[in-house]
Amino acid sequence: MLSRRSFNTASLSFLLLSKLNLEAFSKDTPASTKILNRLTFGSTPAQRIALEKLGLEAWLDKELTKPTSDAELDRRLSEAKLWIGYEAGTDGKNHKWKKREEMLAYQYLKAKGASLIKLTNFEKSGMDWEERVRPAREVQAAAWIRAIHADAQLREVLTQFWHDHFNVNANRDEATAAFFPPYDAMLRSHALGNFREMLGNVARSPAMLIYLNNNESKASPANENFARELFELHTLGAMHYFNDKYTDWKSVPGVLAGQPEGYIDQDVYESARAFTGWTVGDGHWIAEGEDAPVTGEFLYTHGWHDPYQKRILGVEFLPNTGPMADGERVLDLAAYHPATAKFIVLKICRRLLSDEPPDSLVQNLSEIFIAHAKAPDQIAQVVRALVLSAEFLETPPSKMKRPFEFVASLYRATGAEMSNPTMDLHYQLINAGWMQHEWRPPTGHPDKTSHWANTNTISRLTAFAFSSLDENFSGGKFDALAIPADALKTTESLLEFWEERMMGTPLQVPQKQSIIDTVGENVPDDSNERQTAARTVIGLAALTPQFLLR
Amino acid sequence: MNDPILVVIFLRGGADGLSIVSPTGDADYLAARAPNLRVPRVGDGAGFKMREANADVDFRFHGHAKGLSELYGAGELAVIHACGLKDGTRSHFDAEDRMERASPRGGSESGGWLARWLKDVKPDGILPALAVGPAAPDSFMGVSDVAVARELQSLRLAPGHPYRKGVLAALQGLGGNDVFGSAINRLLSLTKSIEAKAALDDNGDLKSYMSAVEYPKDNELADSLRTVAQVIKLDLGLRITSVDFGGWDTHVGQSYQLPNLIDALSSALTSFWRDLGPLQEHVTVVTMSEFGRRLKSNDSGGTDHGHGNVMMVLGGAVKGGRMHGKWPGLKNAALDMGADLAITTDYRDVLADVLASHMKYTNADQLFPELKRHSVGLI
Repeated sequence: MLSRRSFNTASLSFLLLSKLNLEAFSKDTPASTKILNRLTFGSTPAQRIALEKLGLEAWLDKELTKPTSDAELDRRLSEAKLWIGYEAGTDGKNHKWKKREEMLAYQYLKAKGASLIKLTNFEKSGMDWEERVRPAREVQAAAWIRAIHADAQLREVLTQFWHDHFNVNANRDEATAAFFPPYDAMLRSHALGNFREMLGNVARSPAMLIYLNNNESKASPANENFARELFELHTLGAMHYFNDKYTDWKSVPGVLAGQPEGYIDQDVYESARAFTGWTVGDGHWIAEGEDAPVTGEFLYTHGWHDPYQKRILGVEFLPNTGPMADGERVLDLAAYHPATAKFIVLKICRRLLSDEPPDSLVQNLSEIFIAHAKAPDQIAQVVRALVLSAEFLETPPSKMKRPFEFVASLYRATGAEMSNPTMDLHYQLINAGWMQHEWRPPTGHPDKTSHWANTNTISRLTAFAFSSLDENFSGGKFDALAIPADALKTTESLLEFWEERMMGTPLQVPQKQSIIDTVGENVPDDSNERQTAARTVIGLAALTPQFLLR
Repeated sequence: MNDPILVVIFLRGGADGLSIVSPTGDADYLAARAPNLRVPRVGDGAGFKMREANADVDFRFHGHAKGLSELYGAGELAVIHACGLKDGTRSHFDAEDRMERASPRGGSESGGWLARWLKDVKPDGILPALAVGPAAPDSFMGVSDVAVARELQSLRLAPGHPYRKGVLAALQGLGGNDVFGSAINRLLSLTKSIEAKAALDDNGDLKSYMSAVEYPKDNELADSLRTVAQVIKLDLGLRITSVDFGGWDTHVGQSYQLPNLIDALSSALTSFWRDLGPLQEHVTVVTMSEFGRRLKSNDSGGTDHGHGNVMMVLGGAVKGGRMHGKWPGLKNAALDMGADLAITTDYRDVLADVLASHMKYTNADQLFPELKRHSVGLI
């Protein structure tokens, strides 16, 4: 149920959009473009029409319930290929393998733990490193196809959001690489679902267990890595970490009434104990004569668990509460904590709206997050209320597209095809600061524009504006001249075609003039030169604030 | 070139200072650390004994820190142990944030400490401030005129573009944008100045940098420091630069991760220093990390977040070859919260010393609000 306030706002914005026919409320950007740039990987003409026809609320409700895949996307993913290449080799156990160089279809996107774990076994089978990390590479490449071509765009945007929130560096080692496809699939399926449920799945996923070392955590001393990031990054947030002020748990405000306002190191230490034994079925040694099963799935090893009494966030845990009960209880305490609602909502607003969203909005949405804490569509409810809020429409575009979004949106805006995304493209993005699925610290990519509006990223985006539609560069397909003959007459007509296609609105006169001046008024006769001129026009249009900001 | 230059290397993740400069003979260290997470005194991987240390503990550089040990022996590298951020935080991101701001949040002196120096000194020159990496660290927060790059080449806009002149003119029209205009303007002016100073090849790319010594391969820090050396030698007016070196969060597998990290740090820093040659006299390098690691190792082959740590300062004028600061020892009562190396030297005192003495900065006392400065006597 929507609150009365958000219901009113919702109907108001619906009216606004239908009656005023999506009148431009920011000077240069039509409303539909602005909305789509926030909720998708970039607006397209077809989506602008769909949004204008349905109105925001009906369009949004459709987006919020779209499944994780569609037939067209499945076809693209099944047809896509990714290069694999390595020399013949031998390992220390005298396993040998042959040279391989080919374009290969994706094999692992739907793979389960039992088959993936074979890639981490160095005893039984020898293979080149490229084979071991192939599952991660496939997810990294497929991310482009999904972002550019998936119908469920809002789900994809949120999936990327959760990947940053629950960051795992797929490239950390062969194990995080192998277990990455199920992790990606899990986040996508819960992206608009219930937070507690997603958190429980994250805490049990081999990729996260290995990335934050909980798979090795046993009594005693426990490994604190996961427990710390659980509080700091996944739930309450560092803004609710009080250790510099309180070293005695009783002094944390609210704790004696059962509602501590935040957490301290002692909560981290005790939670680390609570998660001892949460590990991965990877055949590891447990005790004399006892090895873990080889499942490639979550495994609870009771022999590693520290079962004694604990105190976490002011709550007493009795000793010997049974398998996984301690960990589940910590996840409950963290997921349902009001600080978590605030932190998650703030981050969602920061992703979908602006770097410093108004406090009142964050407060309203936190209440919705809490009110729907057990609902299967809790996150969808929060996103819905955000998009239908007055603030969502009133806030002008102020965030710079991050490198991945920039390239994806250029593909979407121009109608280019991303057929066989290459690892070259991936590495180019790394130079720009975007490490798709391999951001190293557990923070995930920063969201604030102040991080991205630097000389390095801008210089690389400038290069991408001109080069990323190039097949050799990215594995995509695009012809800048496959447009109506009328549009090919002059640079001006070319620009008018592409600005409408890309943004749904003309550029300002001086902007247009500087672009026309760049390539000259007349389109070159030579077809290669003409292609270059057209791509220059598109690239410069992509670097205007109207395209670059969202 | 006469203006002094400061290079700040940030070891992200919480480097284990107790392994980089290790109290190998300390009974409490021996008792708390698993054998494979200690620096041994004899045999494989034995640490390099330090000529002069400030406590009777047999301090040694890690067995993979040969280069650091040699710089120390030559009197160019100073070590400050039991150093750090006195605040109790054990969170990476909180500690990094506090350290790099080095001032209370929201005050008039907000923003990063390097940014405040920049604002106060306003150095001229083409490229006074450089953050090596994909983005600027928080120490530069609050200024827009810092150049961010992994390599010099990427500070040039649209190199080799067939319509380059027009493209640059069109980009100039974006300079007024609130969000990214200042980066565009900075790039346009850097493009011009760098191309006036540096040689280009036939493709219009910058000619590759020929260093005086070979840098280690597959070493992220070496790549970054190579860029710094190139910028220094091109005389682009560099004054301060930050270099990030991550991967120090060794909760597991410390026995195989840490030797590689320390080797990378030691070999990269040594190559950089040799590459500078006679320009060394203008340069001081500081290494820091958000915190040290727990004295007692965990049961999964690693160490968790700790407190006190080691800082190192490398420079021609530095009082090197000795350990500065007070060593508090590792007895239980001497530890912070009964668990971690205590802090006897505020990291800001080290930075303030370097700014005052090496950088000839007269407002070092004011740059760090709320710091009651105690000189460490480094330079």
